[in-house]
Formats: sequence, structure tokens, C-alpha cells
Amino acid sequence: MSTIDYLLHGLATAMQWHNLLFVFFGVLIGTVVGVLPGIGPMSGVALLIPITATMTSGLSPEEAATSSIILLAGVYYGAMYGGSTTSILLNTPGESSSVVTTLDGYQMAKQGRAGAALAIAAIGSFAAGIISLIGLIFLARPLSAVAIKFGPAEYFSLMILGLLAISGLAGKSMLKSLIMTAFGLLLATIGIDSVSGVERFTFGVPELYQGLEFLTVAVGLFAVGEVFKTILEKDSNEGEMAKINRILPTKQDMKDSAAPIARGSVLGFFIGLLPGAGAILASFFAYIMEKKISKNPEQFGKGAIAGVAAPESANNAASGGAMIPLLSLGIPSSGTTAILMGAFIMYNVQPGPLLFQDHPQLAWGVIASMFVGNLMLLILNLPLVRIFAKVIQTPAKYLIPLIIVFSVFGVYAVQYSTFDLLLVMGCGLAGYFLAKNDFPLAPLVLGLILGPMMENNMRRALTISNGDFMIFLEKPVSLLFLFIGLLWVTIPLVLKLKGRKVLINEEA
Amino acid sequence: MNHSFDRYAGIVFGAIGIFFMAGSSTISSSAYGSSIGANIFPLFLGGCLLLLSVKLIYDTFRKERAASAKASLDYKRFGIIFIAAVLYALLLESAGFVITTFLFLLIGFQTMQKGRLAVSILIAACFSYGIYYLYVHVLDGSLPGFPAWLGLS
Repeated sequence: MSTIDYLLHGLATAMQWHNLLFVFFGVLIGTVVGVLPGIGPMSGVALLIPITATMTSGLSPEEAATSSIILLAGVYYGAMYGGSTTSILLNTPGESSSVVTTLDGYQMAKQGRAGAALAIAAIGSFAAGIISLIGLIFLARPLSAVAIKFGPAEYFSLMILGLLAISGLAGKSMLKSLIMTAFGLLLATIGIDSVSGVERFTFGVPELYQGLEFLTVAVGLFAVGEVFKTILEKDSNEGEMAKINRILPTKQDMKDSAAPIARGSVLGFFIGLLPGAGAILASFFAYIMEKKISKNPEQFGKGAIAGVAAPESANNAASGGAMIPLLSLGIPSSGTTAILMGAFIMYNVQPGPLLFQDHPQLAWGVIASMFVGNLMLLILNLPLVRIFAKVIQTPAKYLIPLIIVFSVFGVYAVQYSTFDLLLVMGCGLAGYFLAKNDFPLAPLVLGLILGPMMENNMRRALTISNGDFMIFLEKPVSLLFLFIGLLWVTIPLVLKLKGRKVLINEEA
Repeated sequence: MNHSFDRYAGIVFGAIGIFFMAGSSTISSSAYGSSIGANIFPLFLGGCLLLLSVKLIYDTFRKERAASAKASLDYKRFGIIFIAAVLYALLLESAGFVITTFLFLLIGFQTMQKGRLAVSILIAACFSYGIYYLYVHVLDGSLPGFPAWLGLS
């Protein structure tokens, strides 16, 4: 079957009424998550995994996985839409990849053009979503065709590359992100070893035999950690909200933003492909590029519509691009895709080169649902933006305890154990203090998810080579991956030594 | 940047590294005739973590201490909610979902901001029973119900 046939089959899956409902709820919740400053896409997706697990319990395993992933992916790209709303109206980014949008978006809102800015952000996000999906469709299968030839040594090196890339870009200190990565990988070794069946680091505690559940750790670190931060630091948004007058942009606005949207989308897509880069870098680069290209750069920062259109398109395109390494290589390139990957694994679906062969319904269903979801987001966001703006005013008084309840409920519904609930609270506490002191959390979760796969591949490779570690250097592809990984870590160090400022990615 | 936190974190992470290295020496080092056992991966990573922590501790001594602006943290509010949350986790199974959730939400709402007790009670009641009803009766999931001695089942 050709790609188009697969896509049509996927579309048929995505158009089943229950899946339409799942897309709708996914993008709706995603938008709300994006709007609310307390929760980002990572905690939003983590919190929804258990809820989707029960909602889909009546379906067959493959259908359940498809529907859940459709919803969770919807939350992911929906949050990118929602994040722009608060940036423009309140000058507070709802999630970190919308930081750049505040520069021009809030200025536009102050000039009474909030509606136009919001509309352009929605239209740009939509165009970018479509462009990145087209890229996804044409790149995912060839990439998995290459990846399927990889042996265990290549896979191990590829994962090293992925982890190094994320550590190189995440957070303010590379040393700290490397520590978090190593710590996450170590935590993944707790439990029964899947190769030889011996127990490791369990101390006879029965709860530890199955290992630390990734969902528990993710919910604790991100959702509960953020809640603790809000409680301790009295975060509140008391900024004045700009009024929305007219929603539809003028013809001139459309003309001015068409090219930035196109450029931002393409740039964002390719940045999203890179491991570790992700939406924040994409929006920064798109903004900088527009400013360089523009005929009147002095307009930027004073309400230039291109300064809203380009970064908003770029962060959405990046979230689409980030799906490619996840689906075709099985290697997440950012925190949110790492959590999505955890959801795949919970449904016993292994993302990676075999995904398109073994679960075509799931893979193409999810891709096609992203078309539908982007369309829904556009329809939802244009007329309903006033309602979403109201969501911002949800009092923290009610929101904060409710997020804790949802975390407890979600973890208990999947794990049925008090041990996991206490682990959530412990992880929340650790997450707050670590994040506060610039220890990035995403590498830890990524290590926890990739750990078992990485260890299996390493041991398989070493078994093939009779324990000779040179196998990782003798295979050319593996050597190449390790070399790129090394460069990824050393180049920022060299640049820093030379006194250059290095852009970092706070989300990943 | 808080140097003393970094130093303690470095010590803790270093200890974790040593702990995993020591622990992996007790794990069998071969599996089914292969010379590669379950101990290699944690041993190697424990070593990495230890080295990285040493570098982190070293860095905290090398850099001069930056004056850090102390933000006022609301420890009282946090303490109440955190203890309530831990009790919530501990009592969930014995006292049931609805009762613990209701109490936790009520305490949480009132701790975040005093006043409007009636609204708090209403919202807490709606959410605690609403989630339970939706999950157990509509979605056929399983949550600890009411404690048996209440006779509600």
C-alpha cells in the first residue's frame, strides 16, 4: 500500500465517532492546559494518561491505544495553541514555548489589536500543524525503513546521542542535566532485571519489584511539583487582561503574516526533528530570523504581527516535528514526547521502526487525527477565544487542591497502591527543589523511560561481541552517533568558553 | 544560584552513585553463559553519577558565592497542604475515596484562601462524589468506596 492509502485508512480510523470525541476532548483540554499558567503540556499529558486508560477500557487493546494516544497527542499540540492566548492577553506565557510571543503579542493587545494577534496565532498554528504533518507523513516511513536496519549497538548509540542532546540543551547547567540523566537511568534499573530475572536494588520491598512506575514519577515531578511551587511562591497572575475587540484579522494583517507563517513553520519543523531542541528554541529562532529578514526590524517589540505569526507557527510545527523521532525511531526528543512514549509503552505498543508495520492503524490513525485536531483547534480558537481567556481567571484557590486530587486519583486508578501515592508526594517535593535549583526534570523522566531499552540493547550488543566494548566503535553508524553526541555536548561548552551566549531549552 | 543546595545535592547524588555501584557488586555478573550480566549497566552509571557529582561539588567551591535574593516562601500554607496530601494518600484506602477527597479539598481550599466556606464545601462535595460516581458507576473503574462500617457500600 502506498502512503496515501495508509493515510486514508488512518483518516477512516480518526473519523470514527468515538475517536472524533477523543480528538475533541484532547484539543479542548490541551487548550485549557496551555492557557492555565500552573500546568504545562508535560503535566497535562501525564495527568490524563490514567484517565484515558479507563475511558478506553471497553475497547480492544489496539483501539484503546489508538484512542488514548489520539487524545494525548491532542493535548500536546492543543497546549501550543492555548499558550499563546495568555502571552498575548496577559503578557504571561501559559507555557514556556510562548515566551517570545509576549514580546509583540502583548504590544499588539495594548494597541487594541488583541483579537487580530490571537487570530493570527491560531491561523499560524493551524498552517504550521498542517505543514509539519505533511513532513511527518513523508519522513516517518523512510526514516523507520532506515532505522529497522539498526542492530543493538546502533540503537544503544542512538539513545546515547538522544540523551546527550537533551542534556546539552536542557536547563542552565549541562552538568546538572547530565546528573539528572544518569540518575533517571539508574532509577530505571530498580526492579526485576528483564534479561536475567534477578532482582536489583529492591531490598525485598515488594512494591519495588516491578520498578518505579514512570507515570507516578512523572505526575509527581511535574504536576505535583508545579503545584508545590505555586503554593510556596504565591504565584498569581494579577496582570491586567487586555480586551478583545474584533477577532478577525484585517486583510493587511493576513498579507503581512503569510510569509512569516510559512517560514516559521518550515524552520520549526526541522528544529522539532532535532533531539533536545523542541518548541522553545524553534520559537526563538523563528523570531530572530523574522527580525533579520524584515524590512523594518525596528517594528519588532512594538507590536509587529510577524513577531506573533512566526514564533507561534514555529512552536506548533516543532511539536509536530518532534513526533517523527518518537514514532519512527522510538526515541523521544523532548519532555512531552517522552511522556507520550511512556503512554505508548503502557499500552504495550513499542514506538519505533516497527510501529508502522505492526500497528499501522494506530500510527496512521494518530497522524490523521492530528489533521482533524488542528482543524478543530482553529474552529475552537477563533470564536471561543473569549471563553478560553476566562479560564485564566480560574482562582488558584480551587485549582491547586484539585490538581493534587487529580494526581492522586490518576495514579491510584492505574497503580492501586498507597506506596505509589506516597512516591508521588515525595517526587513532588524533590521536583520542586530540583527545578528551583536548575536541575532540569525532563532528562530524569527521559532516562527512566529509555533506561530499560538502552540497557537491553547494550547487553545484546555486548553479548554479540562477547563482552568487547569496541563493538560500539567498530560499527560505523554507531560510531557516527556517538561522535555526534560528543559534539553536541562539547560544542556548547566550547562556545561558552569563548564567551558566547548559548540558547537553552527550558521545556526539554 | 544556590551553592549550598548544589553542594548538598552533589553529596546526595554522589552517595547514590556509590550506593548503586556497591549494590551492583552483589548482583550476579553473568546471565546464561553470557559474560555480560545485570550488574554492568548500574555499575557503569553509578560511576558516571559519582564523577559528575564530584565535578558539581568542585564547582560550588570554585565559583564565588553569589548573593541570592531570598524570596519569601509561604511555608505555613505549604506545610498544611503537604501534610494534608500525605494523610490523604495514607488514608485513601481505609477511609475511601469520597470522604478523604472531600476533606482534602476542603482543607486545601480553605488553606489557599480563607472564607466562603459554603462555596468550598459545595465544590469539594461535587468533585469528590462527582469523580467517584463518574469513574466507578459510569466508567466501571475501581476506587476505594465508603468504609464498611458506614454501611453505605
